[in-house]
Amino acid sequence: MPSRILLISDLHLEDSRPDITNAFFEFLQSNSGNCTSLYILGDLFEVWIGDDNHTELSQSVAAALRDFASAGSSIYIMRGNRDFLLGEEFAKQCNALLLNERFVLKTDDFSALLIHGDQLCIDDLEYMEFRNMVRNTHWQKDFLAKPLAERSTFAGSARQQSKQATESKSNEIMDVNQAEVENFLRASGEIVLIHGHTHRPAIHQIEVGGNTGPLKARRVVLGDWDESLWFIEICGDQLNLQNQPLNS
Amino acid sequence: MIVLKTNYGAISIELNFEKAPKSAASFLQYAKDGFYDGTIFHRVISDFMVQGGGFETGMAQKPNGEPVENEADNGLSNVVGTLAMARTSDPHSATSQFFINVSDNHFLDHRNKTEQDWGYAVFGRVVEGMEVVNKIKNVDTGSSGGHQDVPVIEVVIESLDVFEEE
Repeated sequence: MPSRILLISDLHLEDSRPDITNAFFEFLQSNSGNCTSLYILGDLFEVWIGDDNHTELSQSVAAALRDFASAGSSIYIMRGNRDFLLGEEFAKQCNALLLNERFVLKTDDFSALLIHGDQLCIDDLEYMEFRNMVRNTHWQKDFLAKPLAERSTFAGSARQQSKQATESKSNEIMDVNQAEVENFLRASGEIVLIHGHTHRPAIHQIEVGGNTGPLKARRVVLGDWDESLWFIEICGDQLNLQNQPLNS
Repeated sequence: MIVLKTNYGAISIELNFEKAPKSAASFLQYAKDGFYDGTIFHRVISDFMVQGGGFETGMAQKPNGEPVENEADNGLSNVVGTLAMARTSDPHSATSQFFINVSDNHFLDHRNKTEQDWGYAVFGRVVEGMEVVNKIKNVDTGSSGGHQDVPVIEVVIESLDVFEEE
């Protein structure tokens, strides 16, 4: 049987959107036992202040993923710009594997470079500075040593600042930098790049200037879960970007 | 008009001397010199393009002539059935290799004069024998001599007929 791989990102699960959490659980149920693997490419959660912050939401998601894994699918989780502190402990709870920020998905018929996508938005200098700070292992260690209440306050103000900053930034700045996309593809040797983050679902055909002639590459962007849910299905060598209304 | 006689049938092409004078003249010269006789379509991607004009049978690369200035800013688009100059990532590095678009590859068109967005220069089109091109695009391919997408059974340009008008 050919492999069937599913990819999702940017669910931004949070207590104030139980509809999205329910849609996620339904998505897992309807695909339980009939896919080879599930890749979550970042921002599964809207906020994550550490694996030790056990909430009702985090525990129910872990349980649902564990069930999904026990039905025979492998689960891979990548961190996003919201849940960059998600760690091995939570991954273990979900019976999932935590991925590095660049991962090459390879099957007999298909291969692609997977990233969350925030790394491509290099024109947003302010964000890149923040990213460098919070992705630093020393910073993370210090931060995770702080009491939960203090971490929660920091996360709240960071979200507020990010929201305000986003409102004043142009669309171009917050989208990917095309040259950086090509750099990522060239460095990986792959011709398919899959990411989320920008909330601009699309399949872009791009030329990445091969040394042997024209080279066709694809940048496939997952959508965020809001009014509809988005996922990519890879069967054999075929990739499909799909969406469904959230309340279906 | 130029007729490429391949082992899959004949492909007639028309060069666009008005829009792509340098590329068309270069291709015509290679054709007249017999350079393309015995060359193969060495890179075939069924939903993209078929490329040839630089290798002989057995994947032996032929020595090239002087590079041609990139004329991709001539307004011609890389649509199905057009011929364009193949090259490396340097926009002005095209020599004898060319490709036939078998999809509408608008993303290969000229956008601006930076290395990244210069695009691929269209200099001609197939006027007859597109069914032959479609046969070629669907051949089985694999890796050979460090190259990918190489037809398993060689697609050879056995000879070319050049009919000069006027």
